[in-house]
Amino acid sequence: MEVNYAIEASLHKSYSKFELNIPRLMVPKGFATALIGENGAGKTTLLNILAGIRLDYQGKITYLGRYSDRQREELSEVKEKIGYTGPGGYYLPQWKIAQVAQISELLFSTFRKECFDMWCRQLAIGGDGAANKRISSLSDGNREKLMIAGVLSRDTEILLMDEPASPLDPLMRERLCEIIRDYLLEDEGERSVFFSTHNIADMEDVTDYAIIMANGQIAEAGFVEDLKEKYVYVRGEAEDIPQAKKTLFRISSGKYGFEGVCLAKKLEQLAGCDISLETPSLSQISVAVMEHSRNMERQG
Amino acid sequence: MKITQNSGEPIYHQIASQFKNDILAGKYAQGEYLPSIRRLAKDLKISVITTMKAYEELAGEGLVTAVQGKGFYVNAQDSEMLKEQHLRKVEASLTEAIAAAEIAGLTDAELMDILQTLLAMKEEE
Repeated sequence: MEVNYAIEASLHKSYSKFELNIPRLMVPKGFATALIGENGAGKTTLLNILAGIRLDYQGKITYLGRYSDRQREELSEVKEKIGYTGPGGYYLPQWKIAQVAQISELLFSTFRKECFDMWCRQLAIGGDGAANKRISSLSDGNREKLMIAGVLSRDTEILLMDEPASPLDPLMRERLCEIIRDYLLEDEGERSVFFSTHNIADMEDVTDYAIIMANGQIAEAGFVEDLKEKYVYVRGEAEDIPQAKKTLFRISSGKYGFEGVCLAKKLEQLAGCDISLETPSLSQISVAVMEHSRNMERQG
Repeated sequence: MKITQNSGEPIYHQIASQFKNDILAGKYAQGEYLPSIRRLAKDLKISVITTMKAYEELAGEGLVTAVQGKGFYVNAQDSEMLKEQHLRKVEASLTEAIAAAEIAGLTDAELMDILQTLLAMKEEE
């Protein structure tokens, strides 16, 4: 399968106690990519760099195979193509919802007010008299929905979303998945979404590609269907626990047996053990990779 | 199309086999395009990569052809190949039946009886 990339980057950034070190980041074009990792793994830093919110980094970014990060700052046509939603104070607290529309109209030539109003109604942001409500009076969920309405009212090709699911209730998370699928469908293969999430299970059915981060680095990345073949979920009997501990990526064991995630190519090391195999979920893979990275870190 | 999340059978495989049945049953005309991968993902509420993998499985079996930028269209199903596909299905089902009969301790003659009874019932329909 031939894949083009919405974003390719090589990035480095060090704080006093933290280092982001990504020699090769690739976000496939035409798909939804999830950025997964523990708190402090560097997800927000990475998204902020890609969105142009942080400019203090070393490295290079290429958008849509043809624009550099410098062009993103200098050319409005590039800025127009990238939408960002996130937890920070992107809209100032004293703004009214109506002002969000006015300011967006000034900033982005493709912003359409009628589209924004439609999304505000559809996502039930603020209720009656919403236009006069201030950002500061909105709940976290409504503020997130407002940002989503803002980017959906523009003609973008890349959506960068920092934890879009977290502030949303379960129904709205479903709606978010639909919104992402609709967004990808619109230009069939030309649009891409890159979102970070802790709610892996809620977002799994909309995740095509996953990038798992740990300690400022990419610990694993790939198309979800490929990852589900690379790893297997294994259950087995108590007497095989010693062998399983040597083989499995992540294991939980007890009196009655063990279960955990194993690299498929290492399965033969469990030959002779009485085991059953399942296709792992993206959550199971992610947790295993994150825990494995943490253990490696501890061992130095 | 029915998709079961926890059946143990990968979702892409479930999708591929339902399309396969439909194609072999002649529900798609030769040259007809399947729904686009992103359209199908939206309709089935699953990820794009899953529908893509399903279509690639169909392409691998020669049932559809991928066209860059356009999607997947249904190939001409030549009748020999169709027959071969169905034959394989019959063999697989009968093999399964034989295995079940062994477990149940049926003799070959008893198994043949069951098959003949079923065939007779079918004819009466």
